[in-house]
Amino acid sequence: MKKTLLMSSMLAMAVTGSAHAETLKVGVATAQTGALAHYDGPVVEGLRMGVDEINAAGGIGGTLKIELVEKDVRSDAAQTAIATQELVDAGVKVLILPCDADPSLAAISIVGSAQVPAISTCASSPTLPMIGGDYMFANFPGDNVQATVSAQWAYDQGMETAYIVYSPDTQYTSMPLYFADVMETLGGEVVGKDTYTLGQQDFSAISTRIANMDPQPDVVMTSAYEPDFPSFIKALRAAGVTSQVIGSDGIDSPTTFSIGPAADRLVFTTAGHPTENSPMAEFNAKYKETYGEESQTVFNAIGYDLAKVIEAASLAAGPDANSQELRDAIANLENVQGATSLITYKGTNGMPVREVTLIGVMDGERQLIGQPSPNPDIIPAPRMQ
Amino acid sequence: MELFLQQTVNAFALGGTYALLALGLAVVFSIMGLINFAHGELMTIAGYVLMYCGLAGISFVFAVPLALLASTFAAVLMERVAFRPVRNSSGATMLVTSFAVAMILQVIFQNFISVRSQPVLLPEALSGSITIGGLVIGVNKLVAIISTVIMLIFLDRFLSKQKYGIAMRAAAEDFAVARLMGIRANTVIAGAFAISGLLAGVAAILWVSQRASVDPLMGFTPVLKAFIAAILGGLGSLRGAVAGGFLLGFIEIYLAAFLPPALQEFRDPIGLGLVVLVLLMRPNGLLPAASLKAEKV
Repeated sequence: MKKTLLMSSMLAMAVTGSAHAETLKVGVATAQTGALAHYDGPVVEGLRMGVDEINAAGGIGGTLKIELVEKDVRSDAAQTAIATQELVDAGVKVLILPCDADPSLAAISIVGSAQVPAISTCASSPTLPMIGGDYMFANFPGDNVQATVSAQWAYDQGMETAYIVYSPDTQYTSMPLYFADVMETLGGEVVGKDTYTLGQQDFSAISTRIANMDPQPDVVMTSAYEPDFPSFIKALRAAGVTSQVIGSDGIDSPTTFSIGPAADRLVFTTAGHPTENSPMAEFNAKYKETYGEESQTVFNAIGYDLAKVIEAASLAAGPDANSQELRDAIANLENVQGATSLITYKGTNGMPVREVTLIGVMDGERQLIGQPSPNPDIIPAPRMQ
Repeated sequence: MELFLQQTVNAFALGGTYALLALGLAVVFSIMGLINFAHGELMTIAGYVLMYCGLAGISFVFAVPLALLASTFAAVLMERVAFRPVRNSSGATMLVTSFAVAMILQVIFQNFISVRSQPVLLPEALSGSITIGGLVIGVNKLVAIISTVIMLIFLDRFLSKQKYGIAMRAAAEDFAVARLMGIRANTVIAGAFAISGLLAGVAAILWVSQRASVDPLMGFTPVLKAFIAAILGGLGSLRGAVAGGFLLGFIEIYLAAFLPPALQEFRDPIGLGLVVLVLLMRPNGLLPAASLKAEKV
């Protein structure tokens, strides 16, 4: 009896001990190698910065330190599922999943059954939380919202005919279909569509086709990203197409700004812009201090945003919150100040409300065109692939 | 008609690049029976040299020979370090070794250079286009076609006139007998790798000039295309590799150009279906190597 008592009191101590955890375990299953490392690499840099900053100040609310448990999923869907399972088994309370919707979706059944909230680093497909269910969150302006912003801008500039080039290979690369929807809603015309394969090197056939249209379309829209996008725009310009080109956040990278004259008349949507004294400018200064070089991409700041979202959710749910309570806290977050934007999850299905920034490229320089609010009436419904 | 001609120019440019890539694989295969899947990483190395030259402010004119030198040297080094120890092993061992070399190099690029793709500064002239007889031809397309022609002539001369070239041809025909004639195996094999490295370098410059960036995984797609082209042309046959490369380029461009929009999504499977069709009719490829002793049972 004595023994049982001792045992049970030890057990009780162990249980209360873990309930008053001094750290919040966050599982980071991201693509540090492979095709998505372009995005997840910088995101995790930003995330670590945010976490170090919070921990240096004593932790969330001054008491609860964040512990990152990191695993590389090699941009592979199956490996994402395996890593997620390992992290869930290790007892993490929040999960960070890779940038693209497709590998994140591979982890859905594990996320759902373990009831651990999961945030994709930078997937922007609005179908992600729809397919992923209550425990799946995104951390980026949705594809349909980005396309609404860019289509509205193009239409307001007097561009009425659009040509879209998309790839059915991933959710993200089918963003131009949203663009076409919005263009048509606004009264514009979609004069042509083309598809490409992810990793396609040669766009000369498509470019020649567009160049031979009479008249050429006012705007060519694609959500191709590196390395496809530079090949595309160079081929397009070499074929003699002078139309406005619109892209999306995937090309917010140094390559885009070093393409040269071919990238003039290029506008793309992204998640933020370091205007003077903005939180993002402040973040970029801190980034330079930490890593000794300028932040080269908005995805650093996006990672910092993740740390802020987790901090805000944990503050709202309390230090002893379990993962279900943390999920509810994330779902109710409102106006969290991240590095790129104010972030709101309340009232959404997991696709956050965030600012969309329009960036123009001129002489290899980044120019802020605007940060317009999209008209909610014309945002197309998420499209299931 | 003009559209057709324009697309044909595109097909020549793409086919030429594929031909160079396939040749790189074929040169080594014809002598060693090894399909070097690390060929793509030689391209990546050349790409990184271009990138670093751009950063260091070295003019493109000097960067190009440096890149070619780097990929050639890397190919020879690759043979010395990785392939020589397994030279007498089975084909499967060498194939797996080449995959291992490719992966190790990719991880080295990711860890020591960057996981992100790095921009490569290119001369603006390369992005322009010129009009010849009503056809708008991109300068980099023209460069691709011209350098393919130059490389093919160079290779043809080298293999038919030069001592080392003749030795390589002899080794490709029958390595054992060639060695009995006093041809050194190490020299011939190192020479084959050097040529394949040079071809990889030229292809890399053409490839990078299209995409303006280089990343650790850049070599995967081209080596896959080269493999298809080499099989299509007839493994081990150099003329076959060239024919296969051009045919693959033509298939890809013509399908992208003239397939009805509703079928465009199925462009790749249709293209590969055509490749299979060709192979059904000519199982050893378009121009099979004479020494390919494929037995049909």
